[in-house]
Amino acid sequence: MLLSVFLFGLVSLSPAFAQEQEDKFSGEISAQGTLTHINGNEAKFNEYRDIRNGLYGDVKLKYDDNKYYVDFYSRNMFYDTQSYDLEGGKWGVFKFNINYNEIPHNFTYDAQTLYSGAGTANLTYPTHPPSTNTGAWNTFDYSTKRKNSGAGFKIDVLKPFFMDFSAAIDERAGIYPIGAAGTTPGGIALELPAPIDCRTDSINLLGGYVRNPLYISLGYFYSNFTNSNPNLSFRNPATNNTASVTDTYSLPPDNHYYKVNLKGALKLPLNSKFNIDLATASAKSDALLSNSYVADVAGGLRNITLSTPFFNGQVDTNNIATSVTSRPLSFLDAKLFLKYDDRKNKSDVITITDATQTPATFNNTLFNYRRVKYGTELGFQLPAKFYFLGTYNHSTISREREDIPDNRDDLFSAELRWKGVDFLAARIGYERLDRKAEFLPTDPTDIETFIRRFDAAGKIRDTYKANLDFFPTDNFSISLSYKHRETNYPDTILGLTGDKGDEFLIDVDYLINKRIRLFGSFDYERIRQDQFQRQSTGAVDPSLPPTPTNFNWTAAQKDENYSYSAGAEIFIVPEKLTLLVQYSYLQADDSVDYTYLLGANPLPAGRTQDNIDLSNWDGYKLSRFLIKLSYNVTKSLSVATGYVYEKYDYNDAQYDGYQYVPAVTGTNGAYLTGAYNNPSYESHVGFVTLSYRF
Amino acid sequence: MKIKKIKSWLFSLFTIFLLVSLTAIFQQSTAADDGYVGKDVCRACHQKSYDSYLKSTHSKVAIPGNPANRNSCESCHGPGLEHVQKAGAKGTGLITFDKKTDPEVKQAKCLSCHQDSSAVPFWDLSKHKVNGVSCSDCHSGHAGTKNNLKMAEPALCFTCHASIRAQANKQSHHPLKEGLMKCTQCHDQHGGSGPKMVKADTVNELCFKCHAEKRGPFMWEHPPVAENCLTCHVPHGSNHGKLLSSKPPLLCQSCHDATQHPGTIYTRFETSPGTAVSGKNRMIARGCLNCHTNIHGGNGPSVRGQRFVR
Repeated sequence: MLLSVFLFGLVSLSPAFAQEQEDKFSGEISAQGTLTHINGNEAKFNEYRDIRNGLYGDVKLKYDDNKYYVDFYSRNMFYDTQSYDLEGGKWGVFKFNINYNEIPHNFTYDAQTLYSGAGTANLTYPTHPPSTNTGAWNTFDYSTKRKNSGAGFKIDVLKPFFMDFSAAIDERAGIYPIGAAGTTPGGIALELPAPIDCRTDSINLLGGYVRNPLYISLGYFYSNFTNSNPNLSFRNPATNNTASVTDTYSLPPDNHYYKVNLKGALKLPLNSKFNIDLATASAKSDALLSNSYVADVAGGLRNITLSTPFFNGQVDTNNIATSVTSRPLSFLDAKLFLKYDDRKNKSDVITITDATQTPATFNNTLFNYRRVKYGTELGFQLPAKFYFLGTYNHSTISREREDIPDNRDDLFSAELRWKGVDFLAARIGYERLDRKAEFLPTDPTDIETFIRRFDAAGKIRDTYKANLDFFPTDNFSISLSYKHRETNYPDTILGLTGDKGDEFLIDVDYLINKRIRLFGSFDYERIRQDQFQRQSTGAVDPSLPPTPTNFNWTAAQKDENYSYSAGAEIFIVPEKLTLLVQYSYLQADDSVDYTYLLGANPLPAGRTQDNIDLSNWDGYKLSRFLIKLSYNVTKSLSVATGYVYEKYDYNDAQYDGYQYVPAVTGTNGAYLTGAYNNPSYESHVGFVTLSYRF
Repeated sequence: MKIKKIKSWLFSLFTIFLLVSLTAIFQQSTAADDGYVGKDVCRACHQKSYDSYLKSTHSKVAIPGNPANRNSCESCHGPGLEHVQKAGAKGTGLITFDKKTDPEVKQAKCLSCHQDSSAVPFWDLSKHKVNGVSCSDCHSGHAGTKNNLKMAEPALCFTCHASIRAQANKQSHHPLKEGLMKCTQCHDQHGGSGPKMVKADTVNELCFKCHAEKRGPFMWEHPPVAENCLTCHVPHGSNHGKLLSSKPPLLCQSCHDATQHPGTIYTRFETSPGTAVSGKNRMIARGCLNCHTNIHGGNGPSVRGQRFVR
């Protein structure tokens, strides 16, 4: 009898909660053979890639017995973009992950330098003056690689409590271009291959409680940055350096950072919720300062006096953010928020005495700021499926900075949405930012009198947006959007006076009879920035009559780019044979229109208001064509073959007629290395892929 | 004795049969009473959807409170009795997670279980929620993918954020389209108190997580850098190198002007083919950055460090 009751229990319970059986093991292994032919700049082609002749492998493995699970995914194994992810856990109890990935960043291959030791912290050349014959120079690659390793562990079983721990190591190595002035002011420019060999270790701990109506968590984040090369030593070819005097360039110092963060959310009556986010953080660095520098190489080192040879940097930041969201009435959404954050620079103030400067004694300036922001959002559900959203926020920024100490921003926005029918969604919106800035009407340095730094200058910005999404059927959708933005800087006398931008986008997706999918997009954007500037030898006031050496000038920088793509995915034999064809094109035409405001004075010899302009200012064209045929031989085996063509043409005035050594002295002088020069390329890539699923 | 034993076993077997039958009848009538029909009924017509559900985390019995431990398909879609009685007709109160269903209805259903998830405590602060984006716009209850996403990043995000897609395709960009970075490495898609839904309290805090060499603190600071990286950079993509919003020297001159060489006009004549007798090294190649590379701050000596040339 007892047995029958037991068996009854077993039988009646099992249909309700028995896990249905799927295969425990599954996976996919892919091998891709690639043939590549590249004309031109291989570094730009492979800026963040590693595409070359070879065999690429991806592996996906999955184990799931409905109690424990493990997923493994690897991509581009043994190549510069390889990645490995291992995730797993016990359902409902815990999760873990271990990952490793690499990110290359290739800038320029076969760069050239007069120095030996590229990639080390010591650059030197044998005899002075250095050879200007680049054929005798040393060749190297500007390239860096990140290697990221990480692991994490999350506990679910202690619900409503949760814990999350993760750690990561980010290693970077390579060579990166930096620039140094030979002498200053008025000297040559030096492009130096700087070594990158640094590492960032970080850990993240999070623990908390979440159960309706309360969420609370406490987090701790720590990051430690170490740089194997705090300085770069280089023999400076400016002026006469027969004595092989070594100059020093400071590179990023070691630093460490921690943050403690308390977050909470509490549900309240009337469909309301209170949220809070409190954080405090501190960043510290230490550096041994140099007490000399090379000003005139023939004269050797110039010594300076420092109040302390060590710089202890410390910047503390605090953040408080609170908000209340509510739906007190069925047609009304509301939000109130208040945010405060500050930056307190507690670093050392170092007093420097340099007899060659005026004043001879000066110190570094510590930058602090404090920002308070508050505002509201109100959303109204209106009749006929309209929804109106209005927002207002005000922020005040107070800075310790020589030029513009305070800003007060008022931001208003309004948006109207309509979803009156099932197949259409429309919205229009408007936003206005009104920024006020305080500045001194008279300033002995003339900075606040005339110059407005655009990031803190008074401005009025108007933004208009419109969107239309049309999806009459499940297999057809079209999306249109437009944005216009206009900014004026009414207080600005010298600096950025205004900018204007328009952007238009269209996206289409159409699936015909489940056999052909057509898709396409078009994007057009144009931006114009206007600047009013002054060239002077000391007469800074722009209202003064122009002279050949003290005059105003303007620049209108125009960015105009458009892109389009079109493609078709043809299911020739559904779930068996598929053809994908896709073409995309992007073109950027940027230019600068300069105007001298010399009045009756003539322009410098040979110049006119037209021949000074630049019609190629980071202009480029990028086109890409892809064709791919995929065939599912069986449910487990599939094969694909395809071809990709890519062409990138870059045209920029700053690299026209590129010379490694345009001159050896003066402000035309430079020793360059070819960094970023001529990035154009054309590539053909063919591939065959075999995949096996089990 | 032997017969007694056999009779006892037969009686037990009969009891088991009776109890099981009664259980089945009881469960069926209970289900019918509250409108639930059970997954087997759903599967009879929606086998493909059911097979995909089996691949998702929603089908895991080991997770407490999962649909698999409650009403399976009907946990999310609602009771299916009326839908079955009307021979599969629409408009019977079932929730379909498509564009035509009100986002509030869809997200309320998801949050009825997931509100106690540590992933979505600040969903009410999310711009996605404010803009009518619901959980099922990104997630599918039937997907066997990681986090049940409908497709991988960044393609998923680009289905709505076409403007960001256009920026990410520009010549200077973070490696999003190469698949080496994801939008969610910087942004919290479920909401938070950071600006533009970033996973930090300030923009600089976010950027320094990967670019710790820019964190400093430095003896010589560049205040607009220390305040906000976006003063000069556009993170999603730019026509200008290093993700700059504008190109040096004009970018730098929009703040620095009037005295010494910052105020000098650099035109086509100051490029390499030009005939200018001075000033070319402020225009060619990387412009101002030919000398002033430590523009994010540095510890160089005296005025050399102050002017970011050492």
